[in-house]
Amino acid sequence: MAGPDVAWYLAVAAFLFGIGALGVLVRRNVLVVLLSLELMLNGGNLALIALSRHFGNGAGQIFALAVMAVAASEVCVGLGLVVALNRRNLSLDVDRLSELRG
Amino acid sequence: MTGGSWLCLLAPLGGTILITLCGTRIPRVAAGWIATTSVFIAFAGAIWAFIGVHSQGPPNFLGGPPWAHLPHQGEITTAWTWLQSGNFHVGLQLLVDPLSTVMMLIVSGVGGLIVLYSIGYMDGDDEERRYFAYIAFFVFSMLLLVEGGNLLLLLAGWGLVGLSSYLLIGFWHERPSAIQAAKKAFVMNAFGDATMALAFFILIAHTHSLSFGVLSTSGFSSTAINLIALGLLGGAAAKSAQIPLQTWLPDAMEGPTPVSALIHAATMVTAGVYLIARTHVIFEQARTVELIAAGTGALTLLVAGLIALVQTDIKRVIAYSTMSQIGYMFLGAGVGAYANGMFHLLTHAFFKALLFMTAGLAIHALAGEQDIRQMRGIGRLMPFTKWCFLAGALALVGIPPFSGFFSKDSIVASAAALGTWYGWIFWVCGIAGAFLTGLYTFRLWFLVFPGEPSPFVREHYHDHHGREGAWTMLVPVGILAVLATVGGWLQWSPRWTPFTDWLAPAAPTLQAAIPTNTQEYYTSAATVLAGLVGIAAAWAIYSGRRIAIPSAPFWRRTLENKFWFDALYDRIFYAPAAWTTAALRREFEDPVVLQTGPDLGQTTLETGGLVRRIQTGFLRTYVLFLAAGAAGIVLAFLIAK
Repeated sequence: MAGPDVAWYLAVAAFLFGIGALGVLVRRNVLVVLLSLELMLNGGNLALIALSRHFGNGAGQIFALAVMAVAASEVCVGLGLVVALNRRNLSLDVDRLSELRG
Repeated sequence: MTGGSWLCLLAPLGGTILITLCGTRIPRVAAGWIATTSVFIAFAGAIWAFIGVHSQGPPNFLGGPPWAHLPHQGEITTAWTWLQSGNFHVGLQLLVDPLSTVMMLIVSGVGGLIVLYSIGYMDGDDEERRYFAYIAFFVFSMLLLVEGGNLLLLLAGWGLVGLSSYLLIGFWHERPSAIQAAKKAFVMNAFGDATMALAFFILIAHTHSLSFGVLSTSGFSSTAINLIALGLLGGAAAKSAQIPLQTWLPDAMEGPTPVSALIHAATMVTAGVYLIARTHVIFEQARTVELIAAGTGALTLLVAGLIALVQTDIKRVIAYSTMSQIGYMFLGAGVGAYANGMFHLLTHAFFKALLFMTAGLAIHALAGEQDIRQMRGIGRLMPFTKWCFLAGALALVGIPPFSGFFSKDSIVASAAALGTWYGWIFWVCGIAGAFLTGLYTFRLWFLVFPGEPSPFVREHYHDHHGREGAWTMLVPVGILAVLATVGGWLQWSPRWTPFTDWLAPAAPTLQAAIPTNTQEYYTSAATVLAGLVGIAAAWAIYSGRRIAIPSAPFWRRTLENKFWFDALYDRIFYAPAAWTTAALRREFEDPVVLQTGPDLGQTTLETGGLVRRIQTGFLRTYVLFLAAGAAGIVLAFLIAK
């Protein structure tokens, strides 16, 4: 089946991952940080599936499914934390949540 | 037959569990009755197993009455596989054979009488329920020991007996001396358990199994077989309080009197003799070690008899007499006359339980007094106790027709049958032991029972509603007095030997240890004569006052210090350990550990102060570090490639 070369898929995946990483690094809103995390995970997923297809090995797809499950639970915890922060009237700015400073 | 053995084993365990679960919801006396009933159910199970072994054996082709079957060879019943590891597996199995049924009958029968006696003796104690839970557990442990169908279960029972004796000796836990005694018993027994376990390891290494069947495997190297036999002997000597592991037994008198009776008569100390009879195949292949066992017995019976001469505590005198009598059993089992040793074990169970229980009656009536110098003349007030004690004492000395005569003499005769020089040494030891037995037993008798009651006795004596004790105490004493008198008639080696024949499938007497009738007769004459001379000497010294107590200060001190064994062990084991720990404290704990503690803390704090700056508290810094780290690893991989 003709289609773009696997390198293209990997490039897109790296691009997604990069956007996500950059978002986590520079954005200050907790919700956006969580969104960026999802982007990183999906970038990883895309790379897994692309390579799985390329090598004809189903393990990568199963791995991607596992990553999705992890992502879903991570979102549960993350959004739960956001709700808890909001309930206590705490800021959603990650830079102001710095009580763990040594 | 196998059903009986399971019933016998599990009934006392059920009793323990029931008492424990009921807790304070049942009255104290109910706990006593639960324990008593469970042990008597075990006795019923033992009779069931006994009848099974008796009736399922092959018919006796040599003639005799039709009921005279030969006993069954024995049967192993397996509940399930208990342990499995590679090709080594051990089942939860019981062995029902002539030897184990005899032990089951003794343990549960005499044990049941002792538990019944405890109901009266422990009446009013604060923690009766705990006591009865322990004592039923003790009987269970001992039954597991004698019924266990392989060596591992035997070892499990062996350890549990040690544990329950520890619990019972230390039962009055508010007394420091009782705690000390319990610890001593436990440590001594643990030593024996360890040597036994080592013997089993060697056995496993050679045969990959711990079933009784492998014992008869030949082809051990002589080193291996000697080591196995030595390990087993170590266990047997520790449990049976033989030299050099005997020091725990007299101290074990700190427990309640029925416990002493149980430890000494029905359970525990007889385990060593049982072990030798059970593993006699090993000992026969290592004949030297077996003779060491006999020598140990001969030495112990003399030493214990000598120490008993100067003891002033009524229970300790009887305790040393137990050591001495177990010495006879070791002597018998060691020369190869297993059945004679086991027969002495049986009669000894009767008369020793009787002696302890009559002593307990006297102690109970005198509100806990155990010093024989205070007890003079108590027989006038307690005639029943007096006559029962006399029956037990005569049986102990071995005066016909009391039971000790039939069992003790044949052991000494078996030593003579060896015909070797050591055989004759054992023989002389046995005769000398008989003299000592007569002397110390009747020293006790003449000091305590006859004569006018002393002022102390007059003042402290109190009866139990006009009787010498509660009926639960008097009935077992009466039954045992009868058994101590007639129990020996079961067998008289020169003429009829049903007991030896019964044990023949499990532990046949070695050919070398079967005495001729002539040897039996002159040995009997000598031992009875020695016993009578001992009694006469006791009478002359302690009652008739014809002879002054021989004065030998050095020997007296040696005997009162129990041949310095305790002092020696103190020097060898305790003192170096105490010195080492004190030195460690002085040289290491104080200057090193205690001094460096604060320094360590300070250093940790300072280092922490340096590192704490890394924790900025900004989430994004952490992510940056993470990303940088990941990128670094990827780069490293790329470069390495």
